[in-house]
Amino acid sequence: MASPGGQGGGGALSTRGGSGARRMKWALELSLGNARSRADRQGGQGDVVYPIGFSEKPVPDTSIQETDKNLVEKRCWDVALGPLKQIPMNLFIMYMSGNTISIFPIMMVCMMAWRPIQALMSMSATFKLLESSSQQWLQGLVYLVGNLLGSALAIYKCQSMGLLPTHSSDWLAFIGPPQRMEIMGGGMVL
Amino acid sequence: MEKLILLCLKCILLCSIVEAVFEDQVGKFDWRQQYVGKVRFAHFDTHMQSSKKVLLATENNVFASLNTRTGELLWRHVDMTGPEGNIDALLQYGQDAVLMVGNGRQLRSWDINVGGLNWEIVLDSGSFQSACLVGQQDFVKHVAVLKKTVISLHYLSNGHQKWVENLPESETVDYQAVYSGGNGEVYALGVVPHSHIAIVAYSLEDGEIIKQISVEAPWLSNIQASCAVIGQGMLTCVDSAAGSLYTLDLHEQSQMTQIPLQSLGLEVTPGFQPVLVSTQPNPARPPLSEFFLQLGPEHHLLLQLSDGQIVTLRDFKPAMLVAFATPGEKTVAAVMSPKNKTACSLNLFSAESGRRLLDTTLIFNLDPNGGKPEKLHVQAFLKKDDSVGYRVMVQTEDHMLTFIQQPGRVMWTRDEALSDVVTMEMVDLPLTGTQAELEGEFGKKADGLLSMLLKRLSSQVILLQAWIAHLWKMFYDARKPRSQVKNDVTIETLSRDEFNLQKMMVMVTASGKLFGIDSKTGSIVWRHYLDNIPSNAAFKLMVQRTTAHFPHPPQCTLLIKDKDTGLATLHVFNPIFGRKSHVTPPALPQPILQSLMLPLMDQDYAKVLLLVDDQYKVSAFPSTKNVLQQLQEMASSIFFYLVDSNQGRLSGYRLRTDLSTELIWEVVMPTEVQKIVSIKGKRPNEHVHSQGRVMGDRSVLYKYLNPNLLAVVTESTDLHQERSFIGILLIDGVTGRIIHEAVQRRTRGPVHVVHSENWVVYEYWSTKSRRNEFSVIELYEGMELYNSTVFSSLDRPHAPQVLQQSYIFPSSISAMEATLTEKGITSRHLLVGLPSGGILSLPKMFLDPRRPEIVTEQSREENLIPYAPELLIRTEWFINYNQTVSRVRGIYTAPSGLESTCLVVAYGLDIYQTRVYPSKQFDVLKDDYDYMLISSVLFALFFATMISKRLAEVKLLNRAWR
Repeated sequence: MASPGGQGGGGALSTRGGSGARRMKWALELSLGNARSRADRQGGQGDVVYPIGFSEKPVPDTSIQETDKNLVEKRCWDVALGPLKQIPMNLFIMYMSGNTISIFPIMMVCMMAWRPIQALMSMSATFKLLESSSQQWLQGLVYLVGNLLGSALAIYKCQSMGLLPTHSSDWLAFIGPPQRMEIMGGGMVL
Repeated sequence: MEKLILLCLKCILLCSIVEAVFEDQVGKFDWRQQYVGKVRFAHFDTHMQSSKKVLLATENNVFASLNTRTGELLWRHVDMTGPEGNIDALLQYGQDAVLMVGNGRQLRSWDINVGGLNWEIVLDSGSFQSACLVGQQDFVKHVAVLKKTVISLHYLSNGHQKWVENLPESETVDYQAVYSGGNGEVYALGVVPHSHIAIVAYSLEDGEIIKQISVEAPWLSNIQASCAVIGQGMLTCVDSAAGSLYTLDLHEQSQMTQIPLQSLGLEVTPGFQPVLVSTQPNPARPPLSEFFLQLGPEHHLLLQLSDGQIVTLRDFKPAMLVAFATPGEKTVAAVMSPKNKTACSLNLFSAESGRRLLDTTLIFNLDPNGGKPEKLHVQAFLKKDDSVGYRVMVQTEDHMLTFIQQPGRVMWTRDEALSDVVTMEMVDLPLTGTQAELEGEFGKKADGLLSMLLKRLSSQVILLQAWIAHLWKMFYDARKPRSQVKNDVTIETLSRDEFNLQKMMVMVTASGKLFGIDSKTGSIVWRHYLDNIPSNAAFKLMVQRTTAHFPHPPQCTLLIKDKDTGLATLHVFNPIFGRKSHVTPPALPQPILQSLMLPLMDQDYAKVLLLVDDQYKVSAFPSTKNVLQQLQEMASSIFFYLVDSNQGRLSGYRLRTDLSTELIWEVVMPTEVQKIVSIKGKRPNEHVHSQGRVMGDRSVLYKYLNPNLLAVVTESTDLHQERSFIGILLIDGVTGRIIHEAVQRRTRGPVHVVHSENWVVYEYWSTKSRRNEFSVIELYEGMELYNSTVFSSLDRPHAPQVLQQSYIFPSSISAMEATLTEKGITSRHLLVGLPSGGILSLPKMFLDPRRPEIVTEQSREENLIPYAPELLIRTEWFINYNQTVSRVRGIYTAPSGLESTCLVVAYGLDIYQTRVYPSKQFDVLKDDYDYMLISSVLFALFFATMISKRLAEVKLLNRAWR
């Protein structure tokens, strides 16, 4: 809103400056205040003061129906494909962080796991965003699949780092000592 | 190879666990007590008037010197065990003590001031009879040693042999004593039993036989037992059969003079062998002519021999013990006579006249829990006014030494019975009285809601009171310097500490004396002497009820078995106070073979003890109806095994409901090939936290945790180094199934074995490579558990996997045990007692048959140390730093309330108690933990938060106004 007005003002000033330089070497203004500049402006564009943001040229109509539709679609696809697009990046990070268990890889993994989960939790909000699109369901599905893939990747990373309790050794601590069925004792004959 | 070694070193560095104590921790958690054993010879150092030393030579082959003021050891020399180190004689002259060691093998002279060795010479071994100091003209320069066939004279100054002579007719004559009266002659006294006495006199100068006398004495069989040289070389003997004394002048050939005791108006107590006690205050002079004659257990006579006549100076009846002492020129005799049931009185008498010396009465109080006095050692001294003062060291039957000063003040006591601990247990201390009260409140039956509430409130008030009192005491103590705070241990102050680190050590000694020792300070809380213990008794100590069952007192049972008759008795006692329990133990008319403690309890929470007699019948103690009923129900699952090492037989029995037994398996080892040396089961209070081991690929190798597994060690009877072997047999005690068998050829015992969890570690001597070796066997079920909920030996179709590895150990060992903790989470260490006196805490990690020869990724993942054949002894593994523990015979471990901490007691000649932390103190804050810093930081943060919160509020308010 402010920019057209600013441009207009700027234009007026430049014309005034330019024309002033051309007309006279110097001038003494005896009238009060800014009468000169006002007269200058009025002299150029009539005696009506336009509101800020008013443009004399007709503004072209940008709300063309066909391109608008396409853009919405495109935007929606952007949203839907976002998670999928992150996967190569994640793969790269995964590769770079390695399988050692230290603070940075753990942070990476946490981020990688947390983002898809967060996204899946706010599915309804995303659906609202995609409401205007005609391929809403397809896009929703793609978004879902992308996030699922992302979390699968995080799980795979956890697995390769050995953070998942998938081995029997992870459950070893929960095995209690077996109960004794027989009582036995004795020894060397005293 | 270099790389491998480097890797090894790295691994060792990585898994090194710092065990050593810091300097300021010395003596904080550990204590050591040094003993000498049962005293055989004792000499007070009399060469200096102000001397405060007593020399002791003991049956444990220890030669030591005690400070008579405190009873502490000044120095101690521990010789070899067994007959090689046996001390045959102790002679003292001036600053030198001459010791005959190893049946006449070594003659040693010690400086008694510092305990240094003056000289040592090795003699021809064998058949030592007697030794004496030989003096001439008031100066002692030689020592004479009499053996079966030779007599030799040595210089006292350097031990060199002056001369050695063969004894004449040594095939027939049994030479038993040597005597010298300071006149330049040495007499060897021999006897041909029931025939005659042979006396050979040697010249001191060159060993020439001066004369040889043979005197008829058909009644004499042993000179040492019934004869003594008295006065100017008068050999005096006593014959109990004829009831007479015989005297013989050694200087002249003559007949023995018979003096019937009846002529003196005396009579021998029937069945008593009379004893003569003479004294020779100075070896360079003849003995005194006064001597004691003991005619009965409580009858002594002071006699004087003058001109061949015997005069009775004084008759002491009753008198239990007598002793001579020579403080200056005059000799005195101390006589102990019973005063009343609980005390004895001692008096000094002049040896010359038999008169009682004034003001010399000394009272010795008999300990009701001790033994009778056995020996008397007198230290007499001249006071400033030339009167005689004295102190006595009384040796009692329970090997206790009591040093008493006039008029009966006990200066110190030493419980030398503790040098021979046979078995021990550690018992939890009871809760404090207040805690016990609280516990008792829940123990009693409820009687109404209101009364319960009142009881609850009152007990909590008591608790609060106790807590405040405790706080007050802490505050009060904290202001005093640390050295002044005394923590005397009495029965009243005994209570469990927060982490159950303080326990009662119940020790059973070979002499039959029981001790209760506080594990924190090592002070003896109670002692109890069981008389009539046979000398070769076998002991088995069992804890039937712990302190956990208030108000029932804890209860221990000691099974004492006479090995000759096989008959056994039970001694039931309270392990905290040492008092005999009022529970009457059953009479055991049949010989007992073994006992078995069941995890069953009777209604009073006492565990049931089964006693197996020689008819293989079982009797239960306690045997109430409740117990018998429980036994009937459980009978089919109660098994026991017996090992008869003489017959080489292992047999397993099952209990029937009528308390008879049936034989279910039997394994016989041919005794002509090998004999069973030891058998080790698992400790019943052992917990294993982890059921398996995590492999490098994160799978699990499950342990074979058979609670019924027994490790049987056999040794070959053939001891030739090419053919000797040791065998180890892992056998299931219920089914008799042999799980594993290993034979180590060209090895020899003694084998020390530890059996715990799923592993057996044993140590032996390899005759092939001439070195000590450790071997470890581990048993695994495999990658799958057969049955994870119950373990039954009867249902185990799969044999376990057996892994074994051996290592070289640079030292022989004398005892071995594994650490034990409450839950079994802490890693295990082996505690190894070394003959050098060190106790080594060897991580079990180094004894692991899975140690790989080639390091792989997986083995590294598993933290396995690469295999190296040598096990190094690292000095920081010694848990007793410089506190040498002599002759460790056993190591006892007990869990404490802290999972990280295991209590250790090593016993042998010395007793050493400490704590070990196999996985470091993961559950305890460090000693130097900075409480001040942490709490001040916390407080600072807290206040900073408060202040910043307030400031933030103000700022928000200001912004809102703007």
